[in-house]
Amino acid sequence: MQLTIDNVSKCYGGGNWALRNFSLQLVPGVLGLLGPNGAGKTTLMSILATITRATAGRVVWNGADLATDADALRSKLGYLPQDFGVYPNLNAVEFLQYLAAVKGLDAASAKRRIDELLNLVNLADVRKRPLGSYSGGMKQRIGIAQALLNDPQLLIVDEPTAGLDPEERVRFRNLLSELSGQRIIILSTHIVSDVEATATDIALISQGMLVTQASPEELLRRVQGKVWEWIVPSAELNAARQRYLISNTARRSDGVHARVLCDDPPDGAQPVTANLEDAYLHCLSQHRTVYTSRVEAGVLA
Amino acid sequence: MSFSPVLYHMVRADFLERVRRYGFLVTLAGALWLAYGIAAEKIWIVVGDGYRGVYNSAWIGALMATCCSTFLSLAGFYIVKNCVQRDADTRVGQILAATPMRKDFYTLAKTLSNFAVLTCMVVILMLAALAMQATRAEAHTFALWKLWSPFFFIALPTMLLTGSLALLFETIPFLRGGVGNVIYFFLWTTMIALGATGVDDPTGLQLVYRSTRRALIATDLSTADHPSFSLTIGGEHAIRTFFWNGIDWTPQVLAGRLLWVAVAGVIALLASVFFHRFDPARSWKSKQKESSAAAPAPIETVPAAQAGVIAHLSPMIPTSSSFLFLGLIASELRLMLKGQRWWWYTIAAGMLVGQVASPNPNLGSGFLVAAWIWPILLWSQMGCRETRYSTSALLFSSERSLSRQLPTLWIAGVFVAMLMGAGLGLRFTFAADWHRLAAWLAGALFIPSLALALGAWTSSGKAFEAIYTLWWYIGPVHHTPGLDFMGTTPASCQPIAYALAAMILFAAAYWRRRQRLGYA
Repeated sequence: MQLTIDNVSKCYGGGNWALRNFSLQLVPGVLGLLGPNGAGKTTLMSILATITRATAGRVVWNGADLATDADALRSKLGYLPQDFGVYPNLNAVEFLQYLAAVKGLDAASAKRRIDELLNLVNLADVRKRPLGSYSGGMKQRIGIAQALLNDPQLLIVDEPTAGLDPEERVRFRNLLSELSGQRIIILSTHIVSDVEATATDIALISQGMLVTQASPEELLRRVQGKVWEWIVPSAELNAARQRYLISNTARRSDGVHARVLCDDPPDGAQPVTANLEDAYLHCLSQHRTVYTSRVEAGVLA
Repeated sequence: MSFSPVLYHMVRADFLERVRRYGFLVTLAGALWLAYGIAAEKIWIVVGDGYRGVYNSAWIGALMATCCSTFLSLAGFYIVKNCVQRDADTRVGQILAATPMRKDFYTLAKTLSNFAVLTCMVVILMLAALAMQATRAEAHTFALWKLWSPFFFIALPTMLLTGSLALLFETIPFLRGGVGNVIYFFLWTTMIALGATGVDDPTGLQLVYRSTRRALIATDLSTADHPSFSLTIGGEHAIRTFFWNGIDWTPQVLAGRLLWVAVAGVIALLASVFFHRFDPARSWKSKQKESSAAAPAPIETVPAAQAGVIAHLSPMIPTSSSFLFLGLIASELRLMLKGQRWWWYTIAAGMLVGQVASPNPNLGSGFLVAAWIWPILLWSQMGCRETRYSTSALLFSSERSLSRQLPTLWIAGVFVAMLMGAGLGLRFTFAADWHRLAAWLAGALFIPSLALALGAWTSSGKAFEAIYTLWWYIGPVHHTPGLDFMGTTPASCQPIAYALAAMILFAAAYWRRRQRLGYA
């Protein structure tokens, strides 16, 4: 089982490049796709979900090129889009039955699967209630259920925890971990803690480009010894922000405790253990510096 | 809060948002097409016994303005009836609702914005009127006041009225959807018919009729016995001309037209009474009333189960059952019919019984005509439901969604048509009336094909609701040859043409859907 993204680019109208020469190799496990808003995550997800076509490059699923055989992937695909709707007059069972039929699942096994999924997302008690009366979080859980209908080998979830309360988020993270054994899961998000909890591999994306692909451990190693806690008087915080990359601040009685990312720490700063958010910000910061210099040099439009 | 600047900015923002959309260009193209139709003498006004006016500024202005007030008041309604919905869809409405904005400001601003969009279409026809007089060259003197005054006093008040009605329909839950679209059609036919009764109608037809008739009688006294006045599409051309110098805009006439401006204002203010100010609770309530079969329980969040507990999921075994296709048709049918109330089915059953039990076939045809307008709101969802409910990504990422889902949707639509008309279909079969049966079958294929094509191309059900209702009214209701897709009389049967049209429309829908899919 393998998904290859080979030099994929996507250009929208007006010469707006959402993706540039993006390449990635995916094997079973959870890939956390992290990036700021507007980085190109949703565009990449749409291409992988066969919703939109890449302007250039190839996406290959187990040897089948999407350009010529998209159905090879679709039959194995579960997709939870960032924004999706439901038919308000249908209840949960009817909606899932409909999508099961569209996905080509036979009625008997679909019925069993739907029962299990509704239990899984804890909507069994409201299975007969019209979806129009569901809250945002409940609709999101219906979305999760439909993505798992066909027991997908490739599961793409785009900002799946948006709208979920903390308890639901924890449950969803556990579910992803549970499912990840024999399938590829792509978890697109800008919430670092979601990735931290589930991902076996992380791809950072910014300005439509792949910043890096590495395991969480490798990313953490990259910032080891570069994270410091520094107590700054409140009045000097803005000046400190100009000089250092500060990933977090907390106001205390002795001043502002700033989490600083740098090679040469300021006087009085104490080393602290790096977390994934530090690694993420560090990588993005480095990428932005390179990107800006390439734009200024005319290498990138 | 100062009235004018707020109103100005609300109208301006809404207007700019509309005119910067691709659909606005299509709207202008539609106005241009209407203008071309008039200039190319495809649309006429015939007065008395086959008379038309000499193509001078007054006649051309009145002709164009009358076409605006009649045709654009129908098409324009469907074009602009989406401004509140757009604010809801874009979620700008929620932001507006949290401001001190007054409801009457909002409805007034939206009415004016509707009016501004419709005015753009009228302006196209104003310019076309100039071009028409130049190309027709029957009168060489350009009198701009005579040419354009009918636009100001006939067309624009009607456009304002149309804009306010569109807003009122949007604010009343029952009229917001397809039901409102159909009801407006009948309201529009009533407005047109009002002109024939001698009343000063909103479209200004009566005004033009009275003035032209006076001039015609002064030219040819014998026409006093022919009080007819018709705005004709196609048909026979007028063979004689008379000179008409335009409407005399007396204070009394102007007051009559201003009355409709005032009515539009009242309607806009009335709309503010019904405007829900984007309250989701009230929106949901309206949806319940509109379509839900069973009253759902109040909105209540069901929490996720205890974190860390994972339910068992059994693996899916791939199957290749030939019943999958039938299962999908059943699902599409269920989706189409879901939410219909008991009375909907009762009336449908009544129409079906009427087709079988009516003593003569003509009456049976009448029941068929009614039966094939009844499911209009089911058909109008075809091809655009995914857009309306934002489920495109879920469906289009499924395997063979193009070759599987689209044909099954079409079959479900055809099934509804055949079921609704089954009574008459059986009668034709037992009577071995194969020609009428073929026409019946062609009609059953044509209607969902038209719905699917228009839905797929416009991503909305409005185009089908408007075009189909008009077509149904002109064709089957009046047994007009060429337009009678149901073949309600032996003379108006055209089964081959409509079966062919059905195939072309289905192909158009398929092509459009194929375009939308990233990987078809």
